[in-house]
Amino acid sequence: MAASALKVVRSWSGLAPGVTFAVWSIPRQTQVRWSRYSPEFRDPLTDKEHYRKPVAGLTEEEKYEKELKKTQLIKAAPTTTTCSVFADPVISKFTNMMMKGGNKILARSLITQTLEAVKRKQFEKHRTASAEEQAIIERNPYIIFHQALKNCEPVIGLVPILRGGHFYQVPVPLADQRRRFLAMKWMITECREHKHRRILMPEKLSHELLQAFHNQGPVIKRKQEMHKMAEANRALAHYRWW
Amino acid sequence: MAAPCASLGAVVSCRLFLGSRVILARSKGPWGASAAGLQAGAAPQLSRLIRTTVVTTKKNVPASRHEPYTEDFIKKQVEEFNIGKRHLANMMGEDPETFTQEDVDRAITYLFPSGLFEKRARPVMKHPEQIFPRQRAMQWGEDGRPFHFLFYTGKQAYYSLMHDIYGKILQAESRESQLPPKNLLPANTEVIDLIGSRWLIKEELEEMLVEKLSDQDYVQFIRLLEKLLRSACGPGEQELVRRFRRSVAARSQQQQIPPVQHDAQGAPFSIGQGRRKTAQAEAVVTAQGSGRIQVNGEDYLHYFPVLQDREQLMFPFHFLDRLGKHDVTCTVSGGGRSAQAGALRLAMARALCSFISKDEVEWMRQAGWTRSGLRRMRMCPPAWSRIQSSGIGTALSTAQPLPGMQHQLCLL
Repeated sequence: MAASALKVVRSWSGLAPGVTFAVWSIPRQTQVRWSRYSPEFRDPLTDKEHYRKPVAGLTEEEKYEKELKKTQLIKAAPTTTTCSVFADPVISKFTNMMMKGGNKILARSLITQTLEAVKRKQFEKHRTASAEEQAIIERNPYIIFHQALKNCEPVIGLVPILRGGHFYQVPVPLADQRRRFLAMKWMITECREHKHRRILMPEKLSHELLQAFHNQGPVIKRKQEMHKMAEANRALAHYRWW
Repeated sequence: MAAPCASLGAVVSCRLFLGSRVILARSKGPWGASAAGLQAGAAPQLSRLIRTTVVTTKKNVPASRHEPYTEDFIKKQVEEFNIGKRHLANMMGEDPETFTQEDVDRAITYLFPSGLFEKRARPVMKHPEQIFPRQRAMQWGEDGRPFHFLFYTGKQAYYSLMHDIYGKILQAESRESQLPPKNLLPANTEVIDLIGSRWLIKEELEEMLVEKLSDQDYVQFIRLLEKLLRSACGPGEQELVRRFRRSVAARSQQQQIPPVQHDAQGAPFSIGQGRRKTAQAEAVVTAQGSGRIQVNGEDYLHYFPVLQDREQLMFPFHFLDRLGKHDVTCTVSGGGRSAQAGALRLAMARALCSFISKDEVEWMRQAGWTRSGLRRMRMCPPAWSRIQSSGIGTALSTAQPLPGMQHQLCLL
C-alpha cells in the first residue's frame, strides 16, 4: 500500500455527515461521448497554488482527496491550458468562439487588439475627465470584459416545445453554462453582422463591450427582448416538464 | 408392402435407438452420479465427480461433453506441472528451487518462439489452476436433496455470502447500541487502507464464487459491504472486508523517470522524449542554466513565432518555479506547429522529472504534464448531414468514402 492508511474511525460518520464516504471506487458511470480515455480517467488540475498549500492547512476531506488522487489515472493537459497569470478561461472560451476554420492565431490577435482598444479608450476618457469621474472610470480591460459579458447574460430563456402539432416558445430557466454561452454568442454575432465592412472587428467589439459594460447597446437590448418574450409567454410555463 | 414396413420398422427402430441413446445420455446427467452411486453401492461423497454444465452453441451437432475433471485428475496435472517446471529449469541451466512463473514464461517464449498475433494462442505453461476453470462441486446428495439451504435461489454462494455479511452488520449494530455513547474511539482501531485498495470488480467476484452474477447483484453486494464498513468494525468484520479488496498501486510509481547523465565537463543533464499527434521531440535539459531554449538549432523565439506555442514550452518550468534555471536543447520533427510544441512540452516535463522531488513528480502527473494526449485525426465525413436531411430514401449503397470527406479532429 503506497498511500498512508486512513483509520476507519467511527467518529467520522458522526462528525461530518456532509462528508461523502468515498469508498465507492467503482469507476463512475459518466456519460463519456467519443473520448479516447476510459471513464476512470480524471481531469487534470493545473493550478500550481493548489499543490503548494501546506499540509497542515488542509481539512480532513482535502487530505483524503489528495491521497485518493495518487491512485487515480489523470488525462493529459490540453494544449491551451496554462498556469500563467495572464491566462483567463473566459477569454480562452471567447477566443475559441471567435475562431473561424481553426485560425487561432487570428482570433487571439483580434482579442488582444480588442482589449488594447478598450484600454486605450478608457485611458483617453480618464485623461479628459474631472477628478470625481476619474475615480469611477474602470481602466482594466479584463474587468470590463468580464462585467460586460455578465451584464449580457439572460436570466431566463425560451425553448421550443412541440405540443399538439405546434411549436410553442416556453420560458425555461437556463443553466450557468448556457447563459455564458448565449452572452458570448450574441456579442460575436452582433459584432459580425451589424458593422460596416470597413470597420475592423477589434474596433467594433471594443465599442460593444464598453456599451455592454454600461448596460447599454444592442446586446443588452437583445437580452431584454428575450426577457420580455419570456414574460409574455409565461402562460405556457406549465408546458415544461423538467 | 414388406419393404415400406421394413423401412418403417427401421425408422422406428432407429428412432427408438436414438431415444434410448438420449435417455442413456441423460442418465449420466444430474442424477447420473446418484445412479452410479446406487449401482456402486457407495456414498456419493466418496466419489465426488466434479461436473461442468453442457453448453452447445452449434445446432445439428451432438452435444460435446466436457471431460469431467476429477480431483485426482487435477492433482496429477499439478504434479506433472511441477516436474515439468524442474525439467525446464534444468534445460535453461537455472536453479529448479528458485524457478518462478515469470522465468517459466520467459523460457517458453525462448524455446517456442511464436509469431501469432493472438497472445492467447501462443504456447503457454501455467499452473493447472489457471488453465482448468474452477468448477462447482456436486451440490446434492444421492437422494437428490441439495446440501446448501439456499440451493433453490439459484445462486447459493452469492446469497449465502450476502446473508453472512448482513449477519455481521446486525451484530455490529447490536454491539454499537450496547456501547456507551461517549465512547467514540474504540479501544483498538484496525486500519483498512481505503485509498490504496479497491473493491473487487464483478468478474473477480464471479470467479471467486464460481457463479454468474448480474450487475444489480454486484452493486447490492458492494453497498452491503460499504454499510458494514460504516458500522462499528471489529477485527472479524475487517478481515471479511479485506477479502474483497484488492490493492491499487500509486500511479506515480508506474512513471518512468529518465536517469541523470553527466557530460564531458561533469555537468548533469537528462534527456526526455515526447510525442503528440505525429510530432516527435527529444529534449536535453541541463541542471544549471539561464533559461535558453534551442529548437532544431534555432532560438525558440524564431522557431515558434506564435505566443501560444512558447507558452506551452514555458509551462513545465513555470509550474515548478524553475523559469530561467535550466538550459534546453531540443530536436523535433513531424506534425504541425501546435503538435511540435505539445511534443516538446511533454519531452521537457519528462526530462525535468529527474531533477525534482517525488512530490513534485506527483504534482506534475496530477496536472497532466507527464502524459501524452490521445487525440488523433479521424475520418469524419461532413456529407453525412446532407444525406440525412435529404430523406430516408437515399440509403447508402456504397461503402466508399464520399467526395468531400475531410480529415477532422473528431475525438476528445
